[in-house]
Amino acid sequence: MRNLRLVGLLAALGVALAACGGSAPPGTTGQEGDQQGGTIKIGSIHPLTGPLAFDGQQMAKAGKFAAERINAQGGIKSLDGAKLQVLDADSKGEPEVGQSEAQRLIQEGAAALVGPYQSAVASNVAAVAERNRVPFLIDVAVADSILEQGYTNTFRIQPNASSMGTKGADYLAELAEASGTPIRSVAVLHEQTDFGKSVLAAFKARAEGSGMKVGPEISYDAVNVSDLTTEITQVKAEGVDALVVTGYYRDGVLAAKAISSVRPDVKVVFGIANGAFDLPQFTSDAGKAGEGFFDANYHFNARDPEMRKLAADFKAKYGEDIRTSSVLAYEAVRVIASGLEKAGTRDPQQLREAISGLSLDTLMAYPGPISFDKTGQNTSATPIVMQVQGGTVRQVFPKEFAEAEPRFPAPPAR
Amino acid sequence: MTRRAPLSLAARLAVAAAVVAVVLVLAYARSGSGIVVSQAVLTGLLLGGVYGLVAMGLTLIFGVLDIVNFAHGALMTVAMYGTVLLASHAGLDPYLTLLVTAPALFGIGMALQSGLINRTMGSSLANQLLLTLGIGLLIENVLLLSFGSEPRSVAVGYAAPLRAFGAVADLTRVIAFLGALGLAALLYLLLQRTRVGTAIRAVAANPDGAQLVGIDVRRMYVLTFALGTACAGAAGTLVAPFVTVEATTGELFNIIAFVVVVLGGMGNVVGALVGGLLIGLTEQLGGVLLPEQSPLLAVFVVFVLVLFLRPQGLFGRSS
Repeated sequence: MRNLRLVGLLAALGVALAACGGSAPPGTTGQEGDQQGGTIKIGSIHPLTGPLAFDGQQMAKAGKFAAERINAQGGIKSLDGAKLQVLDADSKGEPEVGQSEAQRLIQEGAAALVGPYQSAVASNVAAVAERNRVPFLIDVAVADSILEQGYTNTFRIQPNASSMGTKGADYLAELAEASGTPIRSVAVLHEQTDFGKSVLAAFKARAEGSGMKVGPEISYDAVNVSDLTTEITQVKAEGVDALVVTGYYRDGVLAAKAISSVRPDVKVVFGIANGAFDLPQFTSDAGKAGEGFFDANYHFNARDPEMRKLAADFKAKYGEDIRTSSVLAYEAVRVIASGLEKAGTRDPQQLREAISGLSLDTLMAYPGPISFDKTGQNTSATPIVMQVQGGTVRQVFPKEFAEAEPRFPAPPAR
Repeated sequence: MTRRAPLSLAARLAVAAAVVAVVLVLAYARSGSGIVVSQAVLTGLLLGGVYGLVAMGLTLIFGVLDIVNFAHGALMTVAMYGTVLLASHAGLDPYLTLLVTAPALFGIGMALQSGLINRTMGSSLANQLLLTLGIGLLIENVLLLSFGSEPRSVAVGYAAPLRAFGAVADLTRVIAFLGALGLAALLYLLLQRTRVGTAIRAVAANPDGAQLVGIDVRRMYVLTFALGTACAGAAGTLVAPFVTVEATTGELFNIIAFVVVVLGGMGNVVGALVGGLLIGLTEQLGGVLLPEQSPLLAVFVVFVLVLFLRPQGLFGRSS
């Protein structure tokens, strides 16, 4: 009994300790003030440690890389060639830490913020940005609710959850129609937080509208799931035409492995906003199990020569294949740079004005340039469809972004 | 408590069997498919074996040293990276790397206990807690620094799924399950049948008394911590083929492992295995029964019930 109480106490202490971490790394503070020329600071907040470090670290690199490229081309010309300086901050994947780091970066003189990869962190950082009247560019964070607070300083470059779900349903219906393979019933496997639920809700509304039967809906905890075999068996027992999967990387690989061993009789496995199915390393981690999987997700435009050059340069410098989340971080810094160029001042409120009226060509596979509506959402943000073909992720739909023909139906590999 | 155990054992087993039967019937009614239920049971057992495997080292250390080892998950990750490196660079079979990782982790455990933790023994328990928490954070971030954030995986050439009663199981998971059973048996024999094991149990029961009869208590602490860490190493290697290896992968198992340790009765190795199986089954069947809820909901309901009915754990008897 004594031991029990002790464990409880210790566990509580551990949680408390974990919660109050997050001190500033020293030596990031620059001294120069507001003189023209000099440097302009941009605060970059991403999960650099913890379970999401994999994406967070590359996104931080991509933001820095954008600043270097802009500086090499002469910096911000309307500000006498002022150079961009990206200050890194580690959110550790926790909203409170992200919030305090945002505050710190603003105090250190950041003219704008970029980040943060997670919706929960984005909500907190957006509130800080609003209070301090500093523009905040969301590279990756999907929840609709972030921009529904009436904020005027927050902008998002990627599509939101409901447009991903809605477009996902449209694409699935269009692909089925084009290939003459009817999809009448769809099972959904999704991670259980806001992200998975809101994508599912939008998907379900649109899919049922176009005559598909949606169910069963199976949720799992992405943080500590270590096997999805039972869930996939439930899908198999239901005998549906298609399986839609929404989640992150690790659970996406688990789903692929479970699908290959359970072998449900589905005509297609269709990811929507899936954090695994369209990444290059998924094809090696999941191996043959992932062959033929679709993913409706935001993606960089692999057909754009400028994008290909960025990918090659990035690989030459860091030795890594750049991923879409990092291209979004890169784009966020570019948006701030062209906002500064247009504003001709580093005053955050005038920068905000400039960004909100911007129209900027993008490396993303969007049908138009980046420009923001009243809420701060990029109006051109749209997902496209990728498919794993022969161990490589290819853009397959819609036609204007297709690198290869979609292979539909694509039952899971035997 | 031990005296009335034989009497209540049959009754307890009967209650347990009745609960299991009710849950199975409900799961069948809910899913309408026997295959789903048998898959849930099979997956639950295999997963439970893994949970038990991770919890064994933790419970051993807790039972003897009274330390809640927050570094356990991180140490497990060290073994995973060992397996990844040896398998991909030296071309060893992943399971063969057990011969390297378990002894290596045994050594690391010895060094940690004799170099760091032994200095805090006898002082406030918060000291040891903070120390292991710090060691865990340190290990995790050193791994992140040296191996980067890219997830890695271990390929096993012969990973064909096995089939039984319409349910499937990956061979790698079956091997991990068998490994858990083997390790539990080994630890049990070691603790019950050897002189060292007897000494360890003596230290656990009464450190002062053990010292009086001539047992080197500090050495036993070092040995036990090293054994517990070696268990973490074995667990890391055995799960490596079916998880994505990142610096934080071991942490994923830690929370469940703490639950399993308390559930099984702290310090009880066999209890950890049984507790693990119970949690695995609960999670899977709970997921079938309440498909819209987190699978962990059922786990924590069972956990709270057990704490309420048997605060000392299922096999509670502080060892």
